[in-house]
Amino acid sequence: MLRVSANKTETEIDVGMVIGQSGGNSELEFGEELMRFAGALASGNEAQLDDSRAELLDIAGPTVLVDAAGVAANFQRMVRIADAMGIPVDTNDNEMSNQLRADLGLHEFRSAENSTTKP
Amino acid sequence: MTDFDYSDAPFAIREDIKLAHRDYWQRLARPGSWWTGAERVAIAAESRRARTCAFCTERKNALSPYTQAYAHSNVSNLSARAVDAVHRVITDQNRITRTFVADNHAHGLSEEAYVELTGITVAVLSIDEFNRALGLQLEPLPEPLNGKPDEYRPENLTRDTGFVPMLRRDGAIGREQDLWSGERTANVLRALTLVPDVVRDWKMIGSAQYLSIEDMGDFGQQAGRSIDRMQMELVAGRVSSVNECFY
Repeated sequence: MLRVSANKTETEIDVGMVIGQSGGNSELEFGEELMRFAGALASGNEAQLDDSRAELLDIAGPTVLVDAAGVAANFQRMVRIADAMGIPVDTNDNEMSNQLRADLGLHEFRSAENSTTKP
Repeated sequence: MTDFDYSDAPFAIREDIKLAHRDYWQRLARPGSWWTGAERVAIAAESRRARTCAFCTERKNALSPYTQAYAHSNVSNLSARAVDAVHRVITDQNRITRTFVADNHAHGLSEEAYVELTGITVAVLSIDEFNRALGLQLEPLPEPLNGKPDEYRPENLTRDTGFVPMLRRDGAIGREQDLWSGERTANVLRALTLVPDVVRDWKMIGSAQYLSIEDMGDFGQQAGRSIDRMQMELVAGRVSSVNECFY
C-alpha cells in the first residue's frame, strides 16, 4: 500500500523504511520520525517509545502524533488477525507486490508460509 | 466518569477515536456469540496480562512453541487452552498454525470461540496500544453484563483459505450484507467472518484509528487526518515488519 500510494501521488519514497532503513532520499514529511515511533511501539521497547514519541511530538505536533498512534495501534491488531487466522496475501499474482516483498526480505518471515507464491 | 474521556492526555484526542473506543467497551461487556460478557472481559484481561507473562517470554525465545507445558501467568478462570490462545495471539502470533487451531477445536476451544476470542484479544490490544503509544494509562475494563451468547453462525461459509471457515467472497448477503459490498473484499476482512459481530467491531475501531473500508481505496489526503496516506502506510508497514507479518 505504501508503494501504491507513493506511485499514485508521484512521491519519491524509500520503501526500505518499512524495515527500519534510513530513508535519506525520501520526500516523505516526518518519515524518519514516524518510522522510529511505529517501530518502537511494535517492538515493545518503552524507552525507545518515550524517546520517539517526544521526537515526533516536537517536530510534527500533537495532531500528527495522535493520528500516527491510531494507525500504529490499528496495525498491532491487523497483523495478529492475519497470522492468527492464517490468511494468505491477496496479491499472490501481483508481480510488483511479490518483488517488493522479496526486496525487503519479507519471505524470511515465518508467516510467509501462509502465502504460497515465492519468487 | 465517562469511559475514554482522555482527561489525562496532554493533547487533544479526536472525538471519533474516543467514541469508537467507548462503543467497543460497551460491546465488550455484553454477551457475544460464543462467550458470555464475563468471559469476554476475562479474555480482555488476559490480553493485557500476556504482555508481562514470563512463560510467554520464555516460549517466544524457544525454537518451538510446543516444548513446554502451559505455565502462563493468567489472571482469569478461562480454560488453559483459552488463556494460551489469547497469550499466543499477543506474544507469538506468527507461529500459530492450522494444527494449533484444529487441536484446540478438538479439545473444547471451538473454531467459533477461537475467532471471537481472537477478535476480543486484538481489539483490546489496539485500544491499549493507542494509549501506550501516547504514554497514557490504560482504561479500566468494563463490568460484564449478564446474558447468554447467541451462538450465531452465518450461512455462506467456506474453507477456501486460512485456518477457519470464512464467508465466501460473495457471501456478504442477508444478515451479513453490511460487511462489504458485492464481492469486493480482502482476506483480512474475511478472516473473522465466522463470527460476524467481530468483523463489525474491527471495522468500527479501524475506521477511527486508521481508515474506513470505503476510504481505503482513496490514496489522497483524508478529511479529518493530519497525516497523508503514505505516512499512514509507512507507519502500518513498519509495525507489520517489526511483527514479522508477511500479510
